[in-house]
This record gives sequence, C-alpha cells and structure tokens, in this order.
Amino acid sequence: MIQFKNVYKSFGDKEVLKGISFEVKKGEILFILGTSGTGKSVLLKNIVGLLKPSRGEIWVDQQEVSRLTERELFPIRKKCGMVFQHPALFDSLTIFENVAFGIRRHFQWGLEEIRKKVQECLKAVHLGEDIELKKPAQLSYGMQKRVSLARTLAVGPEVLLYDEPTTGLDPVTTNAINLLIKELSEEFHVTSVVVSHDIQCALDIAHRIIFLDQGQIIEEGSPESIMKSSHPLVRSFLEEVV
Amino acid sequence: MHLMTALGTQVTEMVWAFFEAVDLVGQTLWQAIKPPYRFKDVIQQLYFVAVGSAPIVIFSVAFAAIVTIIEASFHMKLVIKNDALVPGFAALLILRELGPVVTALLLTSRVGAGIASEVGTMKVTEQIDALKMLGIHPIKFIVVPRFLACLIGGVLLTSLSNGICLFSAVMVSKMKLGYTTGYFLSGMRVFVEFQDFLFALVKGFFFGGIIPLMSCFYGFRCRSGAEGVGRATTKSVVSSSVAIIIVDFILSWVFSYLY
Repeated sequence: MIQFKNVYKSFGDKEVLKGISFEVKKGEILFILGTSGTGKSVLLKNIVGLLKPSRGEIWVDQQEVSRLTERELFPIRKKCGMVFQHPALFDSLTIFENVAFGIRRHFQWGLEEIRKKVQECLKAVHLGEDIELKKPAQLSYGMQKRVSLARTLAVGPEVLLYDEPTTGLDPVTTNAINLLIKELSEEFHVTSVVVSHDIQCALDIAHRIIFLDQGQIIEEGSPESIMKSSHPLVRSFLEEVV
Repeated sequence: MHLMTALGTQVTEMVWAFFEAVDLVGQTLWQAIKPPYRFKDVIQQLYFVAVGSAPIVIFSVAFAAIVTIIEASFHMKLVIKNDALVPGFAALLILRELGPVVTALLLTSRVGAGIASEVGTMKVTEQIDALKMLGIHPIKFIVVPRFLACLIGGVLLTSLSNGICLFSAVMVSKMKLGYTTGYFLSGMRVFVEFQDFLFALVKGFFFGGIIPLMSCFYGFRCRSGAEGVGRATTKSVVSSSVAIIIVDFILSWVFSYLY
C-alpha cells in the first residue's frame, strides 16, 4: 500500500533521511521508533506530500507521490489521514466545526448528515456530544488530541498516519489513545503508521516495528523479533520496558 | 572562504525569500478572485481590522494633527513671522501624508503583528499542514480574508483618520491660533484639490494590502517555538513599516505627475 524506495531528504546541508526503503501492507499497524531528531516525522510527512524527498520514490497505491502537485495530492490526502504531534485544531472554530471541516470540503452532505457523522466520529474516540459547542481551548490536551483524531476519521481515510500521538499526555490518556489506535484499526480496517517513542505500546499493538537512527533503518521486524534484537539502541529502548 | 560561503547562503536565501513573496502575492490575488468566496470570514476580519482599530486610530491621529498644527504655526511664526498659511498647508499635509501613513503604521502594529503571530502559531502547531491535509488551500483560508479585509479596512480607516485629523486641526486652529472654521476651510480650498482626497484613499488601499501580505509571509516562514513566532512578528512589523514608507514615496512620486 505504501512503499519507500531509497528515499533521501535533506534540509540545507543536513541529511535527515538516508536511503530509506520499506513497505507498509494494507491493514497493518506499523510503528516507527527512534530517538528525537532521527527523521521520523519527516518520513511521515513525505508520505502525504507535506514534504518532498530530495531523492527516491514514495508510492501510495500505485501512485508516486513525490512528483505530484498540490492539486494531485488531494485524493492521496483524503486517503491518508494524519494525526499531528500537536492537536492542530482551529482555535476559532468549535469542536463540531473542527470535525465537520474536512467533511464539508470532501462531501456534499446536508447538515443532518454532517451532524450524524461528527457525532459518530466523536463517539469513536470516546468523546460525548456535550463538547461539540466548545472551543478547543476549553478542552484538555488529551481531549484535543482525540478531537484531532475524530477530525481525521471524519473524511474516512484508508490510512492513518500518527505523528507521536501520545507525546505530552499522562500515562492513563496515553494508554487510552494507544488502545484507540488498535480499536480504530480493527473497527475501520485502516492501515496505521505510528511514529512514536513508546516501545511498550509498539510491542503491544504493532504488527511490525521499524527502528530509525540518524536517518537510517537500523532494525525492522515483528515485535517478537525486535525483542530479540542485539542492536544497542534497540536494547536501550527495550530496557525501558523491562 | 568561510565569509564568502556565508554571504552566498545569505544571498541565496534572500533570492528565495523574494520569489516566495512574489508567489504569495500572486497566489493571494488568484485565490481572491477564484470561488468559493468566504464572505463571512472577510466580514469577521473586517470587524477586527476596521472596528477594532478605529479607537486607537482616532485617538492617535487626532493628537498627531494637533501637534502638526502647533509645530507648523510655531516655526512659521519664527521664520516668516506669520502663521496664516498654517490651515491650508496643514490640511494638505494631513490628507496627503499624515492620515494615510500614521493610520497604516498603527494598523501594522495592531493588525500586522496580530496576523503574523497568529499565522506563525498556526505554522508551528501544524494547523497549516492540517489545512492542507483536509484539502483546504492555506492561502485561500488564511491570507485572502485578511487581505481583502485590510484592503477595505485601509480605505475606511484612512477616510476616518483624515476626517478626524481635519476636525482636530480645525479645533486647535480655532482654540490655539484663533482662526475660525471658515478661515480654515477657505485656506484649505486654496491648497487642497479633489485628487488629494482620492489619492489618500489609494494610499490607504495599497498600505492595507501590504500589511497582511507581509505578516502572512513572515508567519508562513516562522520557525518552531515561541522564539520563532516572536521573531516572525518583529520581522513582519519592521518590514511592513519600511515597505509602507517606501510605497508612500513611490505613490507620492507617481501622484505628483497626475496633478
């Protein structure tokens, strides 16, 4: 479904991704782990054309995205929803308007249909209708992240890209979000690519894990095979769990 | 060698920035004329730009006009021992320069700084990327309503500002210099032509356009963190102010051929 073929990405003199190649299969939950500044978020943004690779190819469902224009990226971005590191909600809009935002752009629906979909998406992320008229600033950070996920779900993506979905959250909310990723994957049959530092969550819910260090893949495999890895960085991540 | 490399990088960055700015202007104009139109957003922004700025503009330009009259009178009396030309001369200065330029500079500090920090925050909190992901053109959604509101707001506030300036000038001439309203207006008729009113509005229109474009430009280029937003805001205010002064010179020079 998603394929990276020898992808390089530089910002000025700094090379962030150095010849990345991997594949994500339909329905899979792939976790990309690594320390901060190793290019995980950059990698994710390249999938949907928010950043363009310096070299290499990125394929999403038989389409090479790195050469597409903003207009041509529109269907790719509809297909691949992204949950950002920040909730990225629009402050001036209510929660209802935030979730309905993408629906209005992508579908010619009436207000009643939109309302139904918004409620359905809020319910999917375990939020009630009572927050619909609130502004993002009136919600906790964890709730904002859930609304952000609801907004992404509202346009019916086939792929969900999560950029550090649990950063800045308390352990209880972190656990809830992680379970939500699994639930959504099972319930909506979406492919999930999760960029994270959370090795425990990766071991619990991922089908496959990729370890990134200094722009290169240093380890790749199922949670079981990752547990057996002898790479020092992977071991230091695993020590956290043990 | 190191100095040359640094200089080269700086020049390259400036050239890139220039092309980005041109691209932003082009895309803003294109998106402004292309449907769908976001009238509600324009009205909301216009309220913020025009209604929100009106008190500070009224207050500031009134004082600026009073100072202009008092200073002009003082120096004319000192040099030519007569301040009879003050009303006409001051009215001309107010309409051509004081009204539009002071209003624009006030708008830069109030509206421009607000836009730059808002767009900068949207950039660092990934709201702009979120817009792109939802299939919304960021320029259409963010820049166009602010641009149109500032164009209209610039004209409206310049008219208001000129009216307030002239009213203040009449009042201070009457109270401090002893000239009647009738004398002020007849002095004004000698110096001021209809084009002066019109050109003031044209200046307000152009200055109104510069502020959101500059602010959004720096907002979009904002680097991460609070420091990045602060820096983008400072750069936008400084650059807009300088641009307004340069454009004021260019317009005044062009208008001088139209009298």
